[in-house]
Amino acid sequence: MTSVNDVTIIYDPCYLDHDTGGDDHPEQGARLETILAYLSSCEDLAFCYKPPRPALREEILAAHDESWLNRFEEAVLSGRTFIDHSDNQIGYESYQVAQVAAGAGLVGVDCLESGEETTVFCMGRPPGHHAERNMPFGFCFFNNCVIAARYWATRYGRKRVAIFDFDAHHGNGIQSAFEEEPDTIYISIHEHPSFSYPGTGYHDEVGLGSGRGTILNLTLPPGGGDREMEALLTEQAEPFLVKHQADALVISAGFDGHVNDDMSGLHYTTDLYRTIGSTVRRWGHDYCDGRLLSILEGGYELSVLGESVAAYLIGLSGRSRP
Amino acid sequence: MFIEDHMTRQPETIRGGTLLPEARRLLNECHFRHLPVVDEQGGLLGMVTDRDLRSAYPSSVLSEEERRSVFGRVEKTSVDEVMSTELSWLTPSSTLDDALLIFDREKLGALPVVDNDQVVGIFSIRDLISAYKGLFGVGEKGSALLFIRDDGREDLLRTIISILEEQKIPFTRLMRISKPQQKARIVLRINTFKLAKVHHLLADAGIEVVHA
Repeated sequence: MTSVNDVTIIYDPCYLDHDTGGDDHPEQGARLETILAYLSSCEDLAFCYKPPRPALREEILAAHDESWLNRFEEAVLSGRTFIDHSDNQIGYESYQVAQVAAGAGLVGVDCLESGEETTVFCMGRPPGHHAERNMPFGFCFFNNCVIAARYWATRYGRKRVAIFDFDAHHGNGIQSAFEEEPDTIYISIHEHPSFSYPGTGYHDEVGLGSGRGTILNLTLPPGGGDREMEALLTEQAEPFLVKHQADALVISAGFDGHVNDDMSGLHYTTDLYRTIGSTVRRWGHDYCDGRLLSILEGGYELSVLGESVAAYLIGLSGRSRP
Repeated sequence: MFIEDHMTRQPETIRGGTLLPEARRLLNECHFRHLPVVDEQGGLLGMVTDRDLRSAYPSSVLSEEERRSVFGRVEKTSVDEVMSTELSWLTPSSTLDDALLIFDREKLGALPVVDNDQVVGIFSIRDLISAYKGLFGVGEKGSALLFIRDDGREDLLRTIISILEEQKIPFTRLMRISKPQQKARIVLRINTFKLAKVHHLLADAGIEVVHA
C-alpha cells in the first residue's frame, strides 16, 4: 500500500470560470465542484492538490495552429457565446481558462520527471480530446493530452508517448494529431462510432503513412459494460502498448461511459473505474518506468461523477478499496 | 443530388480509330478503367474498359507462338472493334438515384455524362459512394446516428424535425424505414455532442430512442 499523497491532483478554481451558459449545457463547472465535494467527503482519501500554470502560447502551438488561437481569442473577446457549433459554448474567460487547463498537464509532467510526485491527475476543464488542430469540437478547445505529450517529448526527450483514452467517445483530435507519426501511440476504447459522437474511431482507422499501425481503436456496442471493457483492456490494449514500447503514458480519462451517464450508451459501473485506475497504474510502472499522467476529459452525470473519479483515483493510487 | 455536382468534368476520351496499345497506355498512365469513345464532334460512340482490353490481349497460358500471333492482331485492332456500343449514360441533370439504378441494373463501373450530344463528364461508382457519404454525413466528425422506434403516428417526422429545428441542431439524415421484414425505425444522423439532451427532448414528446 502506498502513501495516500501519492496521487497529486492539479486543479485551479479558475476552471469554474469557463462559462458554458448555465445548467442546460452538460460541460459545466458543477462537474468539478461535484468531484471536489465527493473527494473531500472521503475521509480515508487525502490527496495533495497542486496549482497548474497557463500553457505558453508556443506550448499550445505544438498542437494547434496560430490561426485557431487567434480565432478563439477573438471570439471570446468579442463576446460571442459559441464557436463553430452551439455545442462549443464560450464565455469571456474561456480562452484563459483553456490555457490553464492545457498547462495542468505540463505541471504534471514536470512533477513526474522531477520525482517530486509519482501519480498525477489533472482535474481541469474545458476538456480536450475532441479539439482538432484548427477547430473546436465537442466542448473541447485545446487538446490538453496532445499538448502534454508534445511537452513531454520536447522538454524531456520522451519521444514515444502513448495516450490511452477511456472516455466513452473517440478522441478524434488526438488521433488527428498522432495518426501520421511513427513514434506516438493512441489507444482508445469507446462506443461504436455509428451510434456515438463524434462518429470517428472505427476499428480500421489504424494510422496513415509512417504512422500506420500506431492507432488502436477498440469499440463497444451500445450497452457494452464492464466485462467487455476489461476484456479489451487486457487482451488488446495492453499487448498493443507493450508492442510499441512507450516512454511515457498519458491517460485521457473520461467518465461518461457510466451506466447512469446518458451522454453515451455504455453501461460501465463505478467499480470499473477502479479497475481501469489500477490497470493503467500497472501499465505505467511496468512499461513506462512510472511515467503516468492522467487528464480529465468527459463525465457529465453529476450524481455519479464524483464516485467514478474517486474510484479511478483509488485504483490509480494503488490503494485497496476503502 | 445532381450528377453535375459530383462528376469528373472534361474526362479523358479516345477516338474510335485509336489502336489498342495506345488505349492501354492511356488507361495505365492515367489509372482509369473506363474511357468514353467519341467522334470528331465529341459525340459518344461507345465505352472501352480495361476489361475489354484484357480480353483482347493474349492469354498467358497460350504458347509463345500463339501469343505472338494474337499480339500481331491486337496491334492492328482499333478501339471501335472492342468497345461497348450498347450504352447507358447520364446527363448533368440526372440524379444520384438515377445513377444508382443504372449501376445496379447494368453492373457497370462508370457512366459517361452527355449534354447536347457531347461527352461532358464521367461518373463512377466511387463518385457515387463519395457523394452519398457526403450527403448522409457518414464519417463526418461531430455526428452520430440515432434510431427511433416508429410507432406509426402521423406526426412523428414533423415532431422530430420541430424539436431539432427549435434546438438549432443540424442533421444530415432523416429516413423512415418501413420495409416488410425490417423493424419500423426512423434513422437520424445529427450533428451534436449533446445527444442526451436530444434523447430527453424526444422522450418528453413520447418518442422512443432505441439501440437497434
